[in-house]
Amino acid sequence: MNQRLQAWWRKGFWAWSPASERESAEAIVHNLWLHWFPAKVSRRSMSWSYSLWLGTAAACLLLILTVTGVMLMFFYTPSVERAYGSIKDLQYAVSFGRLLRNQHRWAAEGMVAIVFLHMARVFFTAAYRGPRALNWLTGVVLFLATLLLSFTGYLLPWDQLAFWAITVGTSIASQAPLVGPTIRYLLLGGHLVGQQTLLRFYVLHVFFLPALIWILFAYHMWRVRKDGGLAALEPGRAARVMQPRAMPASKSYSLFGLTPGTSVAVMSSMGLEESEQVPASPTLTRRIALVFLVVFNLTLALALLVDAPLQTIANPAVTPNPAKAPWYFVWLQELVASTTVRFGNFTISGGLLGGVLVPVILLALLVAWPFLDRSSRASEGVWFARERRRQNLTFVAISLAIAALIFVGVFLRGPYWRLYWLTTPRPAMPRVL
Amino acid sequence: MDTNRRQLLRWFGKGSVVAAFLAQIGAAARAFFPNVLYEPPSSFKLDAPLDYPQGYSFDSEHRLFVIRQADRFHVISAICTHLGCTVQWRGTEFDCPCHGSRFRPDGSVIGGPAPRPLPWFDVSLSPDGLLEVDTAEVVPAGSSLKLPAKA
Amino acid sequence: MSLLFFVLVAAGLWREYKTAWRPYQERFRIVLEQQGQRRQARAFSLGIQQIWIPQLGVVDRCVTCHLGYDYMGVLPADLAQPLTPHPLPSLIARHSFNRFGCTTCHGGQGWATEATAAHDPGDSWNDPMLTPRLAARYELSVGQLLQMRCNFCHRHEQATPGMSEINLAKQLYQTKKCAVCHMVEGAGGHSAPDLTYEGDVNPELLDFSHLKGPHTLFNWEYQHFIAASALLPTTAMPDYGMTPPQARAMALLMLSWKRLTYPPEYIPAPPPATHSP
Repeated sequence: MNQRLQAWWRKGFWAWSPASERESAEAIVHNLWLHWFPAKVSRRSMSWSYSLWLGTAAACLLLILTVTGVMLMFFYTPSVERAYGSIKDLQYAVSFGRLLRNQHRWAAEGMVAIVFLHMARVFFTAAYRGPRALNWLTGVVLFLATLLLSFTGYLLPWDQLAFWAITVGTSIASQAPLVGPTIRYLLLGGHLVGQQTLLRFYVLHVFFLPALIWILFAYHMWRVRKDGGLAALEPGRAARVMQPRAMPASKSYSLFGLTPGTSVAVMSSMGLEESEQVPASPTLTRRIALVFLVVFNLTLALALLVDAPLQTIANPAVTPNPAKAPWYFVWLQELVASTTVRFGNFTISGGLLGGVLVPVILLALLVAWPFLDRSSRASEGVWFARERRRQNLTFVAISLAIAALIFVGVFLRGPYWRLYWLTTPRPAMPRVL
Repeated sequence: MDTNRRQLLRWFGKGSVVAAFLAQIGAAARAFFPNVLYEPPSSFKLDAPLDYPQGYSFDSEHRLFVIRQADRFHVISAICTHLGCTVQWRGTEFDCPCHGSRFRPDGSVIGGPAPRPLPWFDVSLSPDGLLEVDTAEVVPAGSSLKLPAKA
Repeated sequence: MSLLFFVLVAAGLWREYKTAWRPYQERFRIVLEQQGQRRQARAFSLGIQQIWIPQLGVVDRCVTCHLGYDYMGVLPADLAQPLTPHPLPSLIARHSFNRFGCTTCHGGQGWATEATAAHDPGDSWNDPMLTPRLAARYELSVGQLLQMRCNFCHRHEQATPGMSEINLAKQLYQTKKCAVCHMVEGAGGHSAPDLTYEGDVNPELLDFSHLKGPHTLFNWEYQHFIAASALLPTTAMPDYGMTPPQARAMALLMLSWKRLTYPPEYIPAPPPATHSP
């Protein structure tokens, strides 16, 4: 009996623990999940210190968010009369509802942070050079989609925090010249945050944005293989004497046949020495499983320890004091609050300067940087290469400035947007009874 | 490390992941069984027993008949067992206006498409002296509640 | 990592099982047995209980712990909380639990299934529960404080039995002739603020600079009736010099005037007109 069980287990799951090199290679071809990976990956790619596996962590968070999100869809109602009550039900009346909601919330906050850190890592290692520029652009779109997903999800509980954060956020968006008010009108489904807004944000949050992210994620992964693996391999490649030889045309993939460049072959790692490679199954698969466990444990621990916030039900007549945007946008709110310029009778609204111009400029820089970077190919795949010191320092400086603004906005702003130090007690707001 | 100990540790590791994973699936499944229902309760209170006249009284809100005979009470459902219309009491029998089912005063079927007799519901006295009906508890025809003799 | 995973999942399961209400429910079943309520004890099933009244938007899960509420006269009145039967059976006879729930009269967060979240949710819930502690802050009893909520439905009655403070306040409103300056529901003068929904005033918009005591709407209203000029030196409202009990009654009345819509069957019918011969 035991033999039979073992044989059956072997038959189903051999691909995940291959018994030989041959089996390892075959696993990639035969198994649906594993066909994503190349048969072999370079040892260098497996390094913890190179990529910090941030991209994998982001993918794990995406999976956690999708699963918890779909489960939440069974319990949440996107109607202004029922939304708040359905969240209360999740907290108190649904078995494991509190845990489910908390895990979704903390995974979402973590996702924004990890995606940003992943982008920073790619920047610091100049892994956007050459053919990888397209993947970088895909990544920027993924980053924006992540922010939008977080923003649309923020409204759904329909409490004071949600309602006013979205009021502030969409007001900043409306400051864009020419198209601003129209964007706001489309987002809100009207002039006021109401049922139409909730429904639009809900559909964006559960369908369109996740679909966009998953499709782009698949493309993002495909590009990694097409570009020849992680940029960590580039220094190794450059060290060898490489003539532009004809790539082995054994595999040729393209996306709708639109791939640019002269060769449509995958730049496989077959150019590496035998000793510098490890089989993808089981080495890579096990590493990814480990990263997933770490990420999952972190979100679960946070979900057990800290509750996702929920304030009083949304009340359009009463603005909480102060009203803040979500943390990843509160740096914009800080800029908006402090960049209003007045000379004489003429006023340039802070909303335009801080809320629109600054992020648009930063975004434009992000998008254009792979094409503006003048450093040599020698700095690809290297952390903090000397040649790129100035750009790296600028990136760090801007990131720290944004982080500082976020810190001020989240922790140091109290009623009436006044500044309070962390330990200073905030004035108690008057109550009814 | 000792091979056996290593194998044991590995088994523990895999085992705990599998166990925890299965527990998660179980928790997710449990979450789908609602703990609270937004429905009218299946068990509810009616009026005080002495407020009811002798004979058959129709309660339209709860779709049932309260039948009083001297100091004995029983409750018969007014929902036709055919397709769920509300039957009417005609003095000698129940008639269903939808498809013509007819029932005797005790709920058993005289004629028409109804497949089963009208169910009798459990009736009791609540702590505050009102009739309490439990529509989730079907009792055999013939059982009734006898009011306790007042001292 | 795997062991940590296992531990965390186990912690999650344990927390879900160890709800606050479970020991109370288990104890209640024993109490039912001991008190001879065999049939009820047998029919009793563990789980979250709620009173759901869609017309009022009431979802009250208080009864998950406060299990003895319906056993007035059957279980001893001195049974330890939270199993104590509800007092005032004659009041309950006219305000049945099925039609009113709990939070309609007592306030608090009905959705919650834990004591702190239900009784004292702080800033995350609009509607405070009217606890003895809250009442003591204004030198009132809970019964007196509750009259504020009675008046949500009984607003248009001249005098209601059981609402002595509110009745006094309504009388004072007539005898002090507040309507000369203040408008309420379309009747009255224009020289002072409209008081129709005085209970909905946002306390953050009030000037507390001259107020002693807690910065609350109740206290602000209370001060108005003791000496309005002490609160707002520029006010045109005369100092009525009411006694503290009178001022408290007026404050209760002010706070009871809120923008609420109850279905018509909840509003008591006006008394029949009496024609003097």
